[in-house]
Amino acid sequence: MSHAKEAELFNNDEAKVNWHDQALWFVRNKRDKAANTVKGWEALRNLASAIKSNVLSNLDNYLIQFEENAQKNGIHIHWAADAKAHNKIVHDILLKNNAKKVVKSKSMLTEECHLNPYLEARGIEVIDTDLGERIVQLAKEPPSHIVLPAIHKTKEEVDVLFQKHLGTIPSNGDPQYLTNEARKHLRDKFLKADAALTGVNFAVAETGGFVVCTNEGNADMGIHLAKVHIASMGIEKIIPQEKHLGIFLRLLARSATGQPITTYSSHFNKPSLGKEMHIIIVDNGRTEQLGREHFRSSLNCIRCGACMNTCPIYRRSGGHSYKATIPGPIGSILSPGMDLKKHSSLPFASTLCGSCSDVCPVKINIHEQLYQWRQIITKDIKQPTVKATTLKMAGRVLANSKLYGFLGKSARFMLKHLPKFIINSKLNTWGKARDLPKVEHDNFEDWYKKRKS
Amino acid sequence: MSRESILNAIKKNKPELEILPEIDLEVFHEDIDLIETFISNVNFVGGSTVQLDNLENLDEEIIKRYPNAKHIVSCSNKSQLATISISKETEPHSLESIDLAIIAAQFGIAENGAVWISENDFIVRVLPFITNDLVLILSKKDICLHMHEAYNIISKRDKTFGLFLSGPSKTADIEQCLVIGAQGAVSLTVFLI
Repeated sequence: MSHAKEAELFNNDEAKVNWHDQALWFVRNKRDKAANTVKGWEALRNLASAIKSNVLSNLDNYLIQFEENAQKNGIHIHWAADAKAHNKIVHDILLKNNAKKVVKSKSMLTEECHLNPYLEARGIEVIDTDLGERIVQLAKEPPSHIVLPAIHKTKEEVDVLFQKHLGTIPSNGDPQYLTNEARKHLRDKFLKADAALTGVNFAVAETGGFVVCTNEGNADMGIHLAKVHIASMGIEKIIPQEKHLGIFLRLLARSATGQPITTYSSHFNKPSLGKEMHIIIVDNGRTEQLGREHFRSSLNCIRCGACMNTCPIYRRSGGHSYKATIPGPIGSILSPGMDLKKHSSLPFASTLCGSCSDVCPVKINIHEQLYQWRQIITKDIKQPTVKATTLKMAGRVLANSKLYGFLGKSARFMLKHLPKFIINSKLNTWGKARDLPKVEHDNFEDWYKKRKS
Repeated sequence: MSRESILNAIKKNKPELEILPEIDLEVFHEDIDLIETFISNVNFVGGSTVQLDNLENLDEEIIKRYPNAKHIVSCSNKSQLATISISKETEPHSLESIDLAIIAAQFGIAENGAVWISENDFIVRVLPFITNDLVLILSKKDICLHMHEAYNIISKRDKTFGLFLSGPSKTADIEQCLVIGAQGAVSLTVFLI
């Protein structure tokens, strides 16, 4: 189903859509406030962007340097060309350690690889430990936002879910109570886990260390209790030197939630005595994206979610409407590179207003890439007949000034004189949920001519 | 096999070398009151601060704020409140019911209310996370302006495990309502000496 059709489903519940819209806009405002308090914010963005460009242009060497330094510190490094290879490596490590119970902190990469069902089919219990991720895991749904995974759920829905799975008492969705119950439930899982899986926010070539950021402390609770830690990272997570973390950590949380920094920014360089630390470096389509000149900078993304919070389409269509691991504007330029046909409607889920590019902490030109994908998709993939014909006709009209003038006049006449039930009829999708604007008698050209004379 | 194929694909597809930029710290410099900014940021991220003139009253002040704490670990010689002693050999699961951990922070950062603590400061890696409440002791003169200075300070450390910690654990995953106390410590108090 296309994004537009999926978005229509989300819009069936108008009150919920309005809440979703406002909640994310609130987060966007917090981001603005946080960004405005930092002296040199734009300089930070410019540096982050330039560092990431350098990374992509020297990626192979940085990865080799990272591997060498990490191994020196006793960290095991694995390489996975695709999702299948990644999942197998994880499973093999778990088997070797006789690990049956696994706790996992947020990692979009393991979502992308569909690791959970893979491990569950092999008799391994996987518990997502970020509260939002645990909520969607219990609901058997994918996350709908990369930073706020359960933003599409009401507190009442969470209440019902926890009653069923955690045995909580009805609380009308009291967030304090529900969070506290989840804390107890997850504590038990942390204490019994054999292995901890995490993502990687940044991996440092110079030191062979890596950083994991959370607000809940769930990644660290898992890692420091279990005897094995497996961290999965895409090849693009590398940064050259540790001092560059200063730039990225200043940008990340402020862009994501408006916090000055995440509660925990944990720096891993060596495993604890007697414990194992593994890193899996994953490609899964990233090297292909690296080869696409117009789209390679999408790999600079640090997964803050700011482009989602600001996007007028995302806010009113919900993360699930994208049917992709990474939803929203950044997902809409990443996903077509993974499967053009499946995700061909995503680059059209945008007004091209450019707000995503304006808030992006690493200055990815997201809206321009959305436009670029459209150029490719309309050539390679058959578009709906109505859209194709309409645009062809529009092309003819816009190329002919007389015809354009005539049709403009007719449209103004009709908007003025036709009854509302015709103007807002089914044929006019613009009239679905809004009244069309009041029409002036003249167009700009007429008005301008009259003014001159 | 994967390794070579990935590295070869990168070599084939990467763009021409782009220069790594220099960081000019002048752009980020501000003349601000470091202690005041630090305190206001600790409060902003859900923590609290207590200013003390000297170490004499420290334990008294800690007890005042955590009167019910029974199982206490102290990793600082500035506090004598420990009821449980830990060492490098301590099994992390055994810290499950710690009420309060007291840790001396190396330095704080004004711009975000974070402190840097490393394995040497808390001995068992899980301690600052698994404890119910967390007390940090920080000297007022050890507060730097921003993260760039912070990375400069820790650049020569013994690199094992360490973290920037800013406030107590928190989540807003249920309808964006902020709840302090997620999976890590449920409160954080920084004692500024």
